[in-house]
Amino acid sequence: MSFISLEFVLLFLLCFILYHLVSDKGRKYVLIAASGVFIGYFNPIFLVTALVVSLFTYGVAILVEQAREKKRDFRLIYWGSISCLVLCWIGFRYANRLTGDSGFIFPLGMSFYTFQAIGYLTEVYWEEEKAERNLIDFLLYMLLFMKFLSGPIERSADLLPQVRRLSPASYSMMTYGMRLIVIGLVKKLVLADHIAPYIDGVFSSMHTVSGVQLLMACLLYPIELYADFSGYTDMAIGTGMLFGLKLSPNFAHPFAAQTTAEFWRRWHISLSSWVRDYIFFPLSSVTRRWGQWGVAASLMVTFVALGIWHGAGWTFAVYGFIQGLVIVWELRTEKIRNKVRKRIGKRLFATLSVIRTYLIFAVSLVFFKAQSVSDAFYFLRSISFQTHASWKEINIGMSDHICIVAGSALLLILLYDYFMSKGDLHLRFEKQSALIRWTVYYLIVFAVFAYGKFGTENFIYLQF
Amino acid sequence: METTELLEILNGIFRKVLKRDNIALTEDTTAHDVDGWDSLTNMVLISEIENKFGVRFTFREIVKLKNVGDLCHAIMNKTK
Repeated sequence: MSFISLEFVLLFLLCFILYHLVSDKGRKYVLIAASGVFIGYFNPIFLVTALVVSLFTYGVAILVEQAREKKRDFRLIYWGSISCLVLCWIGFRYANRLTGDSGFIFPLGMSFYTFQAIGYLTEVYWEEEKAERNLIDFLLYMLLFMKFLSGPIERSADLLPQVRRLSPASYSMMTYGMRLIVIGLVKKLVLADHIAPYIDGVFSSMHTVSGVQLLMACLLYPIELYADFSGYTDMAIGTGMLFGLKLSPNFAHPFAAQTTAEFWRRWHISLSSWVRDYIFFPLSSVTRRWGQWGVAASLMVTFVALGIWHGAGWTFAVYGFIQGLVIVWELRTEKIRNKVRKRIGKRLFATLSVIRTYLIFAVSLVFFKAQSVSDAFYFLRSISFQTHASWKEINIGMSDHICIVAGSALLLILLYDYFMSKGDLHLRFEKQSALIRWTVYYLIVFAVFAYGKFGTENFIYLQF
Repeated sequence: METTELLEILNGIFRKVLKRDNIALTEDTTAHDVDGWDSLTNMVLISEIENKFGVRFTFREIVKLKNVGDLCHAIMNKTK
């Protein structure tokens, strides 16, 4: 059941009405039932897997806490359970490869809720969090339907207190949430889904298309991925707001980043902050005697892990490896960059740095998108920079209509991101007169229906 | 050791590690206030501080440090 489907709209409406009709305690049951239907609708096995992981995590956290209180070996329980979760996740990830492509389907959302479970157990182990004793609250933390498929990967300290005291959303929270959902729809339907088939086409026939088309697909894929994933995230956060829940932000205008290190503080924040807190910090603490080399080694391990999180295969490992390598290089060359900044001026340096960061990310995404490492290298080797290419080559087969629609949507999204970076645009928008607000609402909804590409339900991050 | 004396030594370490001459730490200074003090440089700073004062922090102690004041108290407790 995708966010963009009639089934989801019906489930959402039923859940929303019931949620606002029943008592405080009843709200939890409404949300847990809706989450169960949402997950089970894809495949009942997915629901069973998610329930087993959730119940296991719930029990183990209590065991860790009790063992600590009774001065028993809680470390063994913690490390044993983390190993179980990781092995289980890797087992599901590699099941197809191990069984010779037997058609085994990786349970939807598993990478997200497994990481959420590991994070929660670690917080309990570190005594930063108390083990949750209310099973319904814990199941809600793990299975809430709006963030189940592709995150955000929520922290227990942020979400558990909210699900313990569910309350109806205020009017302004509801309108904020609805606006976010519409913005998510624009990103997904008016931008991502329009350009996706053409970029997919270039990647799937990379051996026959021209070098200029490879270059264009490479440059456009970050935009598609951003529009698709941040569109999903906006819809997830917006849906959460309609139930009075504040989910974690996942993007903070990433294409304004001047370095790759900064980029990863702005891109898929719930994952990058997860690997920072639970992999990089402990590792860099252990290796801190090695100085800069310890940081470099920890960074490489962390980013390769971040890459592997996306899926089985060397392509994702290389994708992560590139990110780590670039950040290490940025650390080592900070002095030189500061000198260049002084020489060419802050503004020009910032512009060039933004472009450089985007290009590095675009190149690394070739490994993320390609079927194999050799395909990715072929893709990059075959890129051509010839300047006399025809418009037909440059637009990778997109019609002028699609170029204009997607181009306009991209411009609007970048403007929206820019103004959001200067302060909450929604709060300023709320202060406008009703005439302005409703004109904008009608225009955007009209644009979605008139120019949106319906019929593609899947989001890229659904596969992870 | 007095806090002011400690802050002077920490200033020196921060300036050396972060390669910036304009750092002036106070007890309320946090990572947000100092250019270059982030998750990537934090452990190098801690390691330098440990070497300077001959102390060793646990990982959880490091994570719980919220500002330079916390760091000063932690160093003073370890060197008592």
